[in-house]
Amino acid sequence: MSLLSISDLAAGYGPLEVLHGFDLEVNQGEIVVILGANGAGKTTTMRAISGMIARRGRIEFDGQDISSSSPDSIVRLGIAQVPQGRGTFADLTVEENMLAGAYVRRDEVQADVERWFDVFPRLRERRAQRAGSLSGGEQQMLAIARALMSRPRLLLCDEPSLGLAPLITQELFGVLKRLNAEEGLSILLVEQNANLALKVAHRVYLLETGNVVSSGSAAELAADDSIRKAYLGS
Amino acid sequence: MERLLQYVFDGLSLGSIYALLALGLVVVFRGTGHLNFAQGEMAMICTFFTWQFHAWGLPLVVSVLLGMVAGFVLGAGVEVSLIRRVAKKSEAGVFVVSIAMFLGFNSLAGMIWGNLPPEEMPSLFPDEPDDFVKIFGAVWRYEYIGIMIVALLLMGLLFLLFAKTKFGLAMRAVASNPESARLVGIPTGVVLAASWGIAAAMGALSGAMVGGLAGELTSLLMFTPFIYASASATLGGFDSPGGAVIAGLLIGVGEQLAAGYAPGWIGQELRLGVALVTIFVVLLFKPSGLFGSTKVERV
Repeated sequence: MSLLSISDLAAGYGPLEVLHGFDLEVNQGEIVVILGANGAGKTTTMRAISGMIARRGRIEFDGQDISSSSPDSIVRLGIAQVPQGRGTFADLTVEENMLAGAYVRRDEVQADVERWFDVFPRLRERRAQRAGSLSGGEQQMLAIARALMSRPRLLLCDEPSLGLAPLITQELFGVLKRLNAEEGLSILLVEQNANLALKVAHRVYLLETGNVVSSGSAAELAADDSIRKAYLGS
Repeated sequence: MERLLQYVFDGLSLGSIYALLALGLVVVFRGTGHLNFAQGEMAMICTFFTWQFHAWGLPLVVSVLLGMVAGFVLGAGVEVSLIRRVAKKSEAGVFVVSIAMFLGFNSLAGMIWGNLPPEEMPSLFPDEPDDFVKIFGAVWRYEYIGIMIVALLLMGLLFLLFAKTKFGLAMRAVASNPESARLVGIPTGVVLAASWGIAAAMGALSGAMVGGLAGELTSLLMFTPFIYASASATLGGFDSPGGAVIAGLLIGVGEQLAAGYAPGWIGQELRLGVALVTIFVVLLFKPSGLFGSTKVERV
């Protein structure tokens, strides 16, 4: 069943159009990866889905049209985004970051904080520390935990591997995979690291200068020679 | 010694008014990154509202509270109708708009209430000549004590709002990272409008207290207090609420000392120099202020 269904999405910044009208779908329980080079429009796609920029076309989430909804109502409906560069609230403590992530909710907030501290024990150790004092990997974990605090059904992750050591990145992707397998959380992931992405993805979209040029199952794309050359370097 | 104590005490009382105004500047700055030059004039207009409510026969305390409500509406309204629209187009435009509001509110007050002789403004606190206690030889007027208590109480409430409530958390989140605040579902527009509203309401209260001290109301009421408040916010750091309070009290005391110990031929007006020199020195040597974060330097 299609959870997120995008058709003919066009978006950009002022007069500059970055996305030129493409379709994309995320099914319930899927991990979908958007692969693409710098400037392909990956982040713009994420921002368009979250309602952060003006967009045209149709974006349906769980059967509901969200193409003109505000960011806070989109979060309320069940889409949370981990922005590129983590975007933690640097002046707030780790725990306050988590609580801010639950802004759209009331009940069981503290229980959820503890629950994600179980998944990310290092955050529990640093719960009273300012988020700005955390390492890059810890901040990325915090950004993910904060997004999960809104109890999303769809998690948008914008290049979580950016600037992280390979070992930490692997750990993070392990967590995402587990969340998907155990909780049934659907994930739309933007990635430049194709090797990594193809390992976790069910399906992949290839984005080039604002258009989807290829899509298919992870296995199909991994087997495609031209894609291997362009994105996997072998 | 008694003289020193007297200056320190008077300074703390006046300083708590500056702190209140400065805190308004900081609340707005943290939210939107703008310096509201009209903060003092908005407070002045609200004081006229307060006076008007009182003139219609309402008790003074109720009038002040209504004046604060009017301030909240005015502040939030200005943010939604003017600041937000201009900021979308140009950040420098907000600067110009806040200067324009400074002049506009001043003229508006003159237009509505200006033809009358200066209005009498009653004080919230007992202010007869013999309303004071003597402690260690210094005169502690009830009015000064009252001002200090009310200002510190309101500031305490504001800090509780910041630290303990969900809305306070949202305000701090917007100040820290507006983009991420939107992504977690915080309605940033509401938060910003409320920040301007809270700042203006605090201004309304300080206006009522300054007016009570002066005993009369003119459109120039908040001019000098606003300069001291600007100096306080600069000294404390424009993004530090705690800094604004401490700096406000320091500047209040500094002003009283300067006025009190200045040789006769310089005169009382030296006190304003304290504010200007403070702004000058801080901007020259530590632009982020005593407690501000360094990112403010770039602004």
